[in-house]
Amino acid sequence: MATTGNKNINAKLVLLGDVGAGKSSLVLRFVKGQFIEFQESTIGAAFFSQTLAVNDATVKFEIWDTAGQERYHSLAPMYYRGAAAAIIVYDITNQASFERAKKWVQELQAQGNPNMVMALAGNKADLPDARKVAAEEAQAYAQENGLFFMETSAKTAANVNDVFYEIAKRLPRVQPAQNPSGMVLMDRPAERVASASCCS
Amino acid sequence: MYGTQSKRDLALEFQSQIPILRPSIHARRANLTVKFQDLYGFTVEGNVDDVNVLNEVREKVRQQGRVWWALEASKGANWYLQPSISEGQSLKASLKLSAMANAITLKRLIRKGIPPVLRPKVWFSLSGAAKKKSTVPESYYNDLSKAVEGKVTPATRQIDHDLPRTFPGHPWLDTPEGHAALRRVLVGYSFRDSDVGYCQGLNYVAALLLLVMKTEEDAFWMLAVLLENVLVNDCYTTNLSGCHVEQRVFKDLLAKKMASHLEALDFDVSLVATEWFLCLFSKSLPSETTLRVWDVLFYEGAKVLFHVALAIFMMKEEQLLLTHHVGDVINIVQRTSHHLFDPDELLTVAFDKIGSMTTNTISKQRKKQEPAVMAELDQRFRRLNSIKVDDK
Repeated sequence: MATTGNKNINAKLVLLGDVGAGKSSLVLRFVKGQFIEFQESTIGAAFFSQTLAVNDATVKFEIWDTAGQERYHSLAPMYYRGAAAAIIVYDITNQASFERAKKWVQELQAQGNPNMVMALAGNKADLPDARKVAAEEAQAYAQENGLFFMETSAKTAANVNDVFYEIAKRLPRVQPAQNPSGMVLMDRPAERVASASCCS
Repeated sequence: MYGTQSKRDLALEFQSQIPILRPSIHARRANLTVKFQDLYGFTVEGNVDDVNVLNEVREKVRQQGRVWWALEASKGANWYLQPSISEGQSLKASLKLSAMANAITLKRLIRKGIPPVLRPKVWFSLSGAAKKKSTVPESYYNDLSKAVEGKVTPATRQIDHDLPRTFPGHPWLDTPEGHAALRRVLVGYSFRDSDVGYCQGLNYVAALLLLVMKTEEDAFWMLAVLLENVLVNDCYTTNLSGCHVEQRVFKDLLAKKMASHLEALDFDVSLVATEWFLCLFSKSLPSETTLRVWDVLFYEGAKVLFHVALAIFMMKEEQLLLTHHVGDVINIVQRTSHHLFDPDELLTVAFDKIGSMTTNTISKQRKKQEPAVMAELDQRFRRLNSIKVDDK
């Protein structure tokens, strides 16, 4: 869940989508500014964090990049539970991956956090000749379902930062009172002692 | 089919001839990150201390080799290839005092590491792979490979997709020969067990087996014995139910040690441990450390995975108790595992500090967790199906 404090927002973000849609590549592009043609396949999920400054706040994303193979989907609830945002990724050159994306949207709508900011990303936009999913179709679907939509290319970096930036802007700014264990106190020794003893 | 072998052997030989790495004084002073190749040809990034540790590990591997040779000289060649007593061998055999003494020696010895040159032989015998292979005709693997050649299934498509994504950049695995060998092993297995077919994660396991075993065929049999006998059932099948069970068992074990703090942070151990259990640490630990874990895994069974997973957490217990964020916990655990270049450091904690766990206790725990996992998976399945119905 996104937490605020001095306009510092901590947000858990999860990437979901079909195998090979480019989830890990999008994350790598966003976090490290790199692109690797053959990205190691993700097992379970990989974790990254990245901070982004928007006009009125600093957003620290805690990103869960999940595995795409169908049988790994049974693990997904662990990653989207409590997430403030989700990017559902499909490959514009692969119709089946778009259908899979719709299923993820449904699952999140039924199971996820109702205030979750959801983005639909049509990745591999650098391959227009191989396109199988029309941008209009995806746009219409996104609109119907309350998502925002962008076509991205992890390879050329097109729209990649924009997706995360747009999410950062849309995250709720005012949150109901959270656990008082905010990040502000993180490095104070007194706080450490308190939390260490409360759990022993 | 095995034309690729000579080239790989060459690659490995070449590895062993790499002179001891000596970082320059400048690198030491600046605490630079350096890139180097480890014993099995993987490129690792680390600081100067890591390089030094790795050099010490090379030396220890050599010493351990001498210990094995000395025992071979006194006990006779292949003395270690007798089956382990704990595996329920016939009572007569286990009552033999010398056999028992050998078994005790062997257990200790294996925890200290099997020398890389002996690994193929020792693994193949002690894991039960040799026995498994001996129950089918000699030509089984070749026949299987030929029979499935050119067949396309969802499994083969996924395998083809993953070949270049398995340890990319490795000097042998990431070559056409490496890809072809890995493909034959994985595709072959996907036809041998259609319930498993192909599960992502097995690509890393099979790749490492190929690097260690002398032949592709032996790597195939190691994969088979691993999935069919060593690990718990259904780890890799359609909904990974076995993996879910292992994660719950692990969660309980860790809770007894330290998880109350982690749970308070809303940290679920399976966030990091899923990859450990499915890839058997091959993606998380440096290669020689992973193979040392596998040495023990093939002799003592799947409980070893719990020992090692607990050890990684225990090694950083103090630091972890000071964290306030899930992200910090994950970063600490991942950084720790990636830098465990000294296998003994990890295995000492895993076997001397965790306390003993028997295969039996673990099995009981699994039985306890199974109904909850099944119920949860079933519930999710139904919920998702009901969404689909509503949609129409």
